[in-house]
Amino acid sequence: MLYTVNASPTSSRSLESLLRVAAKGDPILLLEDGVHAARAGAATEKLAAAALAAHPVYALGPDLKARAIERVIEGIRVIGYDGFVELVEQHTVVPWV
Amino acid sequence: MSARVAFLMRHSPYGTVYPAEGFRAMMGTGVFEMDIVVVFVDDGVYAALKGQKPEELDMKPLGDGFPSLADVGVKEFYVHGESLAERGLSAGDLTVDAAVVDSARLAEVLAGCSAVLPF
Repeated sequence: MLYTVNASPTSSRSLESLLRVAAKGDPILLLEDGVHAARAGAATEKLAAAALAAHPVYALGPDLKARAIERVIEGIRVIGYDGFVELVEQHTVVPWV
Repeated sequence: MSARVAFLMRHSPYGTVYPAEGFRAMMGTGVFEMDIVVVFVDDGVYAALKGQKPEELDMKPLGDGFPSLADVGVKEFYVHGESLAERGLSAGDLTVDAAVVDSARLAEVLAGCSAVLPF
């Protein structure tokens, strides 16, 4: 399963909820406002660390750039639309909206 | 006496239309020479961040628009300090010169307005 999270961790509990459910090793893609979880230096870093401890975590580059997120938490892989398509081809997608 | 109106910005830009619509409404309200206050709280602080580059999303950088609101008389900005801090940000990361306020002061600012428009 590829889980996508499109809501900010400071306005929604989507990512927190997903971490309770997702099987270890399932990839998580942060996109749209979900990329705020990748912001280094924010109080939500703990949540990202918990995600990284059990999952490969990706963040969509164009969404990071739009939101002026220049420093991404170490371990989170920044991908473009091509990488997004690759992930979708490899997995069943579950949008955790 | 002119009305004092607060625009309460609480959402991140681009993921939803709230911040962009809020900005449009500020432009529209500003020309009526009302007394306007803009307040950034929670994810709303992201709306005014410097360095937004949303071109790949086919959007215009929202943060860059706030300074131009001075043209329609909108120049009173407040930002919630706690919201900045929990995001690892400071007032210097914003495109406008906003007064940093704590929660109590923020409530006072809102209480001093005749209407609060949430975006």
